[in-house]
Amino acid sequence: MDRSPDNILTIDALKTGFRSGRASRVLLNDFSTSVAQCQLIAVIGKNGSGKSTLLRTITGLQEALSGRIILDGSDTISYSKMELARKVSYISTEPVRVANMNVYELVSLGRFPYTDWTGRIDQANHQAILSAIEKTGMKEMISVPVGELSDGERQRAMIARVMAQETRLMVMDEPTAFLDIGSKFEITQLLHDLARYGNRTIIFSTHDLHLAMNHADKIWLLKNSELVEGAPEDLMLQGEFDHIFDSLSVKYDAEQGTFTFSNKSGGSIYIEGEGVMRGWTEKALIRTGYTISYMQTEEYIIVPSAKNTQWKLISGTRTDEFNTIYELLRFLKTTA
Amino acid sequence: MKSLDNRAETNMIFPRKRLFLIFLLLFLLLFILFSLDLFLGSVYLSPGEVIKALFSESESYSQLILLKFRLPKALTALLVGAGLSLSGLQMQTVFRNPLAGPDVLGITSGASLGVAFVILGFSFTMPALSISGLGNWILVAAAWAGAGLVMMLILVLATRIKDIMTILILGIMLSSGISAIVILLQYFSSESLLKSYVIWTMGSLGNLTSGQLLVLAISVAAGIVLSLFSSKMLNALLLGESYAGSIGLNVKFARIIIFLCTSILAGSVTAFCGPVGFIGIAVPHIARIMFRTSDHKVLIPGTLLIGGSVLLFSDIVAQLPGSEKVLPLNAVTSLIGIPVVIWVIMNNRKYTGIY
Repeated sequence: MDRSPDNILTIDALKTGFRSGRASRVLLNDFSTSVAQCQLIAVIGKNGSGKSTLLRTITGLQEALSGRIILDGSDTISYSKMELARKVSYISTEPVRVANMNVYELVSLGRFPYTDWTGRIDQANHQAILSAIEKTGMKEMISVPVGELSDGERQRAMIARVMAQETRLMVMDEPTAFLDIGSKFEITQLLHDLARYGNRTIIFSTHDLHLAMNHADKIWLLKNSELVEGAPEDLMLQGEFDHIFDSLSVKYDAEQGTFTFSNKSGGSIYIEGEGVMRGWTEKALIRTGYTISYMQTEEYIIVPSAKNTQWKLISGTRTDEFNTIYELLRFLKTTA
Repeated sequence: MKSLDNRAETNMIFPRKRLFLIFLLLFLLLFILFSLDLFLGSVYLSPGEVIKALFSESESYSQLILLKFRLPKALTALLVGAGLSLSGLQMQTVFRNPLAGPDVLGITSGASLGVAFVILGFSFTMPALSISGLGNWILVAAAWAGAGLVMMLILVLATRIKDIMTILILGIMLSSGISAIVILLQYFSSESLLKSYVIWTMGSLGNLTSGQLLVLAISVAAGIVLSLFSSKMLNALLLGESYAGSIGLNVKFARIIIFLCTSILAGSVTAFCGPVGFIGIAVPHIARIMFRTSDHKVLIPGTLLIGGSVLLFSDIVAQLPGSEKVLPLNAVTSLIGIPVVIWVIMNNRKYTGIY
């Protein structure tokens, strides 16, 4: 096994899943890898593929069925709970709802493994808490009750809590779930910065492949009890994303790096024109089930340009004009 | 250095001055209610008589009333209120359920079962009156045995079962099952014994001998010490067991400590005073509204003070000062507790954890 000092985490023949009585349900079989420091790793896989179980097992909250997890040079089972809590921290998908707990109090719980039995926050702990709150941009909300925060703010506060825990490895289960696009981007940026400049290694699960592709150093792709890993681009080129989802109607667009629903085809259509107008018109047509033809078709579209401000649909000798893409799509739908 | 540390700890959580003020007021309230409980009762004693009786050597009628009846009863009220409220706070945090109380683990009904066995079981073997001859130690012993048995069962479950909600459900099922056995015992017992059992279930603060008061005091003190030891764990458990584990809490150890503490508190109180209702659920909510914090280092002492005050007040009301009659304690605590809980639910949801 590779145990170079650059590796914070080494996983050796790990088998995760649930054991109930004598039977066990295996979610991941025989997974070995090592994780370098300061990496951002995205765990991808469909619901029920065992993302959460893998993350919980790495965090030590769930026992592995077999195999070893070597964190910071020693097997995680050799650490006491407190020792482990100083090495790996965790955010689950479970929303925290505590009456009367403000941001400072929430973040101060991250100091749990460092305080004495009374839980007293001394000056050093206080500084660690403040710094975590500042770095996550929550300074103005330091005394706001957690229950009054928006989903995005609460996730920031949770990240501040794991930062206050001062672990080199952070494990997060879907940290961007339930967030609007803006917050999603902010949180991902925060994770990215933490890994890049904050000397943290972060393993997080997500359903947002687009986001994972753009930010993660490495992707762990879980499917059929196996884990494939690699840089996002490598996995892309190997065609690993083609069959993440069983459904045949979901396809991964290799060029755009997004998922598309392959709707029933509305046929092939040619678009005349260039630039932004063309780009968005193409996108709209693809969304409604058309494929874009590179050769002239009988029915074709002329997008607005310097000469005209309207979309034109040429069908033989007939020409229809539209002021918006929406009108064009409506017309196509009714005539189809 | 110490003051600096404390500042760091509290200035973000709660203005220190306000915290100090609230605690001062609560102490004052407790003192006033404790004194009132001594002054007021079915026999009128003037304040002068009370003070004379407390501090003079001479044996008088008023001294007898005070030292033999009112003082032990007031002390019992203090201990019962503090003990039940504290165990209620712990259960609400551990189960993350604002409606949890000392009785959710089935410990209270375990105590009832013990008492039911003694009181009602006698109907098969002995005449009704022989109980009073045995003194109430036997009741207390039975109640403790019942509570202890359930406690051990719960502790075994606590180490084996992963999900805390499963324990909650099992506790409630256990309570219901035990109540069913008690009902069966009641059904087959004689009328006079049934009455003495029913009176026990109404709760009472006045039946303790000085020896029993000492045992209760030691039990409650032990519970308080254990709870102070567990305040850091309770704070971690606010986030749920999964998070608590991830920040370094040994969840099973914490469960054992906290359940042990609750069992000692609720078990001994129920053994000596019967199943006193509603205090355990209502008081922690009052404390949360007053202190507006989730920090158990503040909530635990707050709950103890408020719990003691509420029970002293209930006892004063139950005495119906100036009259010969005494109301059943349980009726009074419920009538005081229910409006509080309703008011809490309607007005202060965000402070109490009811979403």
